Amino acid sequence: MVGVTMQVSSVGPAPATPTVLLVEDEVLIRLMIAEELRDHGIQVLEASSADEALTVLESALAVHLLFTDIQLPGTMNGVALANLAHVRYPHLKLVITSSQEPCGDSGAVADTFIPKPYDLPAVIKRVEALLTQFADDANF
Amino acid sequence: MTQILMTPESRSPPQPMETILVVENEVLVRTVIAQYLRDCGYRVIEAVSADEAIVVLKQPELVVDVIFTDIDMPGAMDGFGLARWVRSNCPGPEIILTGTVPRAVDAATQLCEENGTVPKPYEPQTVHDRIKRLLAARPPKKP
Repeated sequence: MVGVTMQVSSVGPAPATPTVLLVEDEVLIRLMIAEELRDHGIQVLEASSADEALTVLESALAVHLLFTDIQLPGTMNGVALANLAHVRYPHLKLVITSSQEPCGDSGAVADTFIPKPYDLPAVIKRVEALLTQFADDANF
Repeated sequence: MTQILMTPESRSPPQPMETILVVENEVLVRTVIAQYLRDCGYRVIEAVSADEAIVVLKQPELVVDVIFTDIDMPGAMDGFGLARWVRSNCPGPEIILTGTVPRAVDAATQLCEENGTVPKPYEPQTVHDRIKRLLAARPPKKP
């Protein structure tokens, strides 16, 4: 198991735990992937819709990576959420996931696409790599 | 300066964790109390509605010890309805109801354990104390 911690400043506040905002409307799938990420030392904030995700992103809670399903209930799907997040929070890492490949370039802003059903070790490896990349980007 | 520490973590021997099911439709309220309870050492499952809570409770491999549920929730079933469903269908978990309407909270006491309601706004420590008290009264969990 690999733990990743992030420190924004050597003289600043305590190191921030790498944090994923997980957006998934199926409770059992959300639970499965959230617990797998937590087991690997990653903090997970859970949202069941794009509206909930935007509420979290607009709050004071630190988020380093948005991991969203494409098919979501409500007026905004995961691609629209990723596009909006990309504009408002350009440093945020973006992962979109679905049981179907995204159409055309609809997932173009995402750093990666992860197909369902999940290959959990591959998901963890990809998320950890993106979180490390986020920290590297913030360093320079 | 950004610092990345890739450190292997030592796994402590598996211990039975008490599981709390938090049912709350307000994402920031849910996130704060869920994270606080995780920091207290519990496994926390988040549900955004009574319907989601019931999906979780129907899974035989997910053993829930305490349900901490809001009373006022959108959808076909509110916290009272969930408590009634739990009492009828899976009598194992303790139930703590939380809400902002004093009368509703008073009425809820008949569905909960003694002193099983927590009025909003609540301090996370108050929730933790209530959970500890409920769990302490249960028979010890087998490893």
